[in-house]
Formats: sequence, C-alpha cells, structure tokens
Amino acid sequence: MKRDKKNKKGKKFGSQNRLTLFQKPEMKFGRSCPLSQKNSPIVDYKNIKLLRKYTSDTGKILPSRITSVSQFKQRQLSTAVKRAKILGLI
Amino acid sequence: MAFYEHTIVGKQDLSDKEMQSLIDKYSQIIDKSGKILKTEKWGLLNLANKIKKNKKGNFVHFKIEIEGKLVKEIEKQLSIDTNVIRYLTVKYDKIDLKNEFFGIKK
Repeated sequence: MKRDKKNKKGKKFGSQNRLTLFQKPEMKFGRSCPLSQKNSPIVDYKNIKLLRKYTSDTGKILPSRITSVSQFKQRQLSTAVKRAKILGLI
Repeated sequence: MAFYEHTIVGKQDLSDKEMQSLIDKYSQIIDKSGKILKTEKWGLLNLANKIKKNKKGNFVHFKIEIEGKLVKEIEKQLSIDTNVIRYLTVKYDKIDLKNEFFGIKK
C-alpha cells in the first residue's frame, strides 16, 4: 500500500509545473529516475518539450540532485540541450 | 557509410521559392554519393534569442546516409552560404524514421 501511494505522488509531480532550483524536499528524495522507466520519453535535441522541463528559466541545465535523473540520462540530457541551443530552439 | 541527421536554419525573410532552391541545392550534393532517407520541413519557428538580426528561422531537417568526407564538404559550403544562419550535423549508429517532434501540431 505504501508503495502505491509513493507511485501516485511521482505521477502527480510529473504533470505539475516545471521543476525549479528551489524544490520542496518532499519531492526531492526517494524518487527513481523519471527518464529511465519503460514508457519514458526519448531524450533528443528535437524533443524541446522535455528539454524545457529540465532547464531553468534562464536556460541553465538543472542539476540531477534536484531532478533525480540518473547519471547516464543526465549526460544525454546535457548534450541534447547544448545541441538545441546551437539551433536556437531553447 | 554512416547515418547522419542534418538540420539547416535559413533566414526569416526567405520566400518559398528561395527555400525550395536551398533544399534542392543541398540535396543534389548529397545525392552524388549518398542517399536521402527523409526530409522534414519544420517551417518558420521562433528562435530563443536573436541570431544575426533574425527573430525567426526557416528549419529544414535531413536524414541521410553518406560518407564522412562529404559531410566536411557540405559544411564548408554551408558556412559560406549567406542564406543560412546555423547548421548542425549529428552522427548516429542507428536512425529512427518514425518519430517526428515537429509538424505534428499543425
């Protein structure tokens, strides 16, 4: 039962507003990586909707300690953001 | 031979005919010793910040299979071209032709 509750929290969080540098501590801890699950979206420089979510308002890449993205996916994200910046999409 | 994704950003005040000629020009160069798997026109998109006094850009996206030497030649010509603001080439081992992130909204 407890696990179910936790999962629901995670889903709610996904549909909520974008992440910020000043995240509430409840949402930070104990979450698994949102990008390495089964139906998770593709990390690509064309997928701007996703990249907007993981950058701040000024265009900086959010650290993984806030977004709880795994090391591997964080590396992919950073290259994707840099590529999108070259084309002027972000 | 390897797979590449190639995007070109044209100036904002190009007409449709000029844009077509731009596409034809570069697809002819590619066709010499490679093949185009797919071309996508993303159309006029807003840029995040001004690039060479342009607020918007004409986006064209190629998915191609050519040799690495030719990519250098294409990029050389693109850097001289006055109608092009920016360009980007990305190398892939496998390419997926299914997913389209632009153009679905329209």
